Amino acid sequence: MRASPARGALIALLTCGVLGGTLLSLATGGRSDVGLLSLFDGDLLTQTVLWDIRAPRTLAAACLGANLGLAGLILQSITRNPLASPAILGINQGAALGLALAFVVPVFGRVGPDAMAVFGAFGAGLLTFAIAGGFRGRMDAMRLILGGVAVGAFSYAMVRFTFTLEDDIARSVVRWTVGDITDIRWVETTQLAFSTLPGLAAALALSQRLNLISLGQDAAQGLGADPRVTLFLGMMLAAVLAGVSVSVAGPIAFTGLVVPHLARFLFGGEHTVLVPAVAALGAGLMLSADGLSKILTAPVEAPIGVVAALIGAPWFLWLAVRTKDLE
Amino acid sequence: MRRLCAVSVLLGLCATAVAAGEISHDLGTTTVPDDPQRIVVLEFSYIDALASVGVAPVGIADDNKRERVIPEYTAVIGDEWVSVGTRKTPSLEIIASLAPDLIIADKNRHSEAYGTLSEIAPTIVLDSLGGDYHASVDQMTVIGEAIGKAEDMALRVAEHKATMAEYVAQIAPKAEGLSAQFGVTNATGLWLHSPVSYNGSLLEMFGFSSTMEPDGAGGLYEKTYVPTTLEQLSEINPDILIFGEYADPSHVDSWTGEALFDGLSAVSDGTVFNVTAHNWSRLRGMLAAELTAADLVEIMDKID
Repeated sequence: MRASPARGALIALLTCGVLGGTLLSLATGGRSDVGLLSLFDGDLLTQTVLWDIRAPRTLAAACLGANLGLAGLILQSITRNPLASPAILGINQGAALGLALAFVVPVFGRVGPDAMAVFGAFGAGLLTFAIAGGFRGRMDAMRLILGGVAVGAFSYAMVRFTFTLEDDIARSVVRWTVGDITDIRWVETTQLAFSTLPGLAAALALSQRLNLISLGQDAAQGLGADPRVTLFLGMMLAAVLAGVSVSVAGPIAFTGLVVPHLARFLFGGEHTVLVPAVAALGAGLMLSADGLSKILTAPVEAPIGVVAALIGAPWFLWLAVRTKDLE
Repeated sequence: MRRLCAVSVLLGLCATAVAAGEISHDLGTTTVPDDPQRIVVLEFSYIDALASVGVAPVGIADDNKRERVIPEYTAVIGDEWVSVGTRKTPSLEIIASLAPDLIIADKNRHSEAYGTLSEIAPTIVLDSLGGDYHASVDQMTVIGEAIGKAEDMALRVAEHKATMAEYVAQIAPKAEGLSAQFGVTNATGLWLHSPVSYNGSLLEMFGFSSTMEPDGAGGLYEKTYVPTTLEQLSEINPDILIFGEYADPSHVDSWTGEALFDGLSAVSDGTVFNVTAHNWSRLRGMLAAELTAADLVEIMDKID
């Protein structure tokens, strides 16, 4: 546990990061003549652009960062594997497959794309866990990653397969292959926020169990918390958080992997602190990624998933090289 | 002496015939047969060229959708052609199986396959996808020479230019001082065709101005077919908006009711028009341009 003045400074830094990301995301966009300063002129156009177009996108970026960061934190804790994340375990790809099925198969279409994304995420997560032996109470780290890669690759191959079926379906599905929030509005953002806030509360409620399971499944069992219950609840929560995120924005890789590590590096391993820290860090990262996505390739916008991968991929590589023992 | 003259004339004629078979195109010079009979075309604008002089291709990259070859073309070329797959990735195997004696390919889509295509048959490569209207008319002349119908093509081009001049005379006075913008929209996005695109250059020829600022940076799709958000569209804000919809409801439809969309000049003035996306966006050439012009006459009649 770090000294409290240092922690105070960290919290101040984190707050500045989130605020800075928010301002960057709000200040950038398709209209060069609309900035934050023009808001003070009382210009109606500026108000419309900021409120209708940019604000929902900014909030969506923050919610996505929090959702994916939390999903990653929960998955890393319950699997006790530093490489676990919604993308590595095939959960994002499973959600994308759920969405693709909703577009292609009429029966699934009736379930609705959002629910199908959550079902897909959950199904893929369950499969990965089963392959790793998670439900027998002994999870193998290498099997977990390999299982995740296999489930992810299979789901993604199925998504790619739907491209070949019909042009119009392919166009609808292709949107779900890379994270993009270019044209997001309040409807989708509200939906996302309704998963983020309860998700954050649920993760906080689960944080004590996550502390225990971090000690090892046997230790958790000894301390009175059945690891299988923690595993199931954590899995459910991660699937809902990742599934809703994919249904709104498409799969975004690396955020769920990078953010928990950064938070642990800054705040230590206590989950009651880690949960809000991860939510704030994730939000700050995605807000910055959103701002950058509008600047990097202007005037054409880059999908936020691409920018997130550009930031996250080098970190992943560093982590993989640095981690000496995966078993 | 007379015999010598006759031989010289004959030799001269032969030389001319060989010279006529040398076609300069975007990837070099290709020797083509004098009167090719089995032609494979890999873009829609080349169907336009062949149909305009009454020649039917044996193979067409029709995106595996025969209806994409519109009735105006099938009325001339019939429906005996073999589909050689998509324009993006035509099947080299099917093309080879047709034993063509001339292939007409696109610079952007097929440059990498030029070597292989040339092994199958003499291949000429032109910029159909990236070129503007004027370039597409110039390409008609090249194709006319390549298929041994230079004179017929010259006549058709002259006739087309006269037709277009009449359309310009009808439209330009009404277009004066107005900006117009064409874009295609599917379920997920809007792509505006910039002033350097085929449709952009057509609109300019008819006297419309453009409020799009061409960036010039990036690849073909970034500068010619520009992905555009509602916020960006609100800054471009042209007097007339023409949409080709590939989906129903389209992405643009989802903007209806939003303050920024309703505040667009074209939306508040009732000057948003829908045209057949396929004809405007995928087709190029003389007949295609005349269809576009006829649509524009209708549009301008509604604005009056």
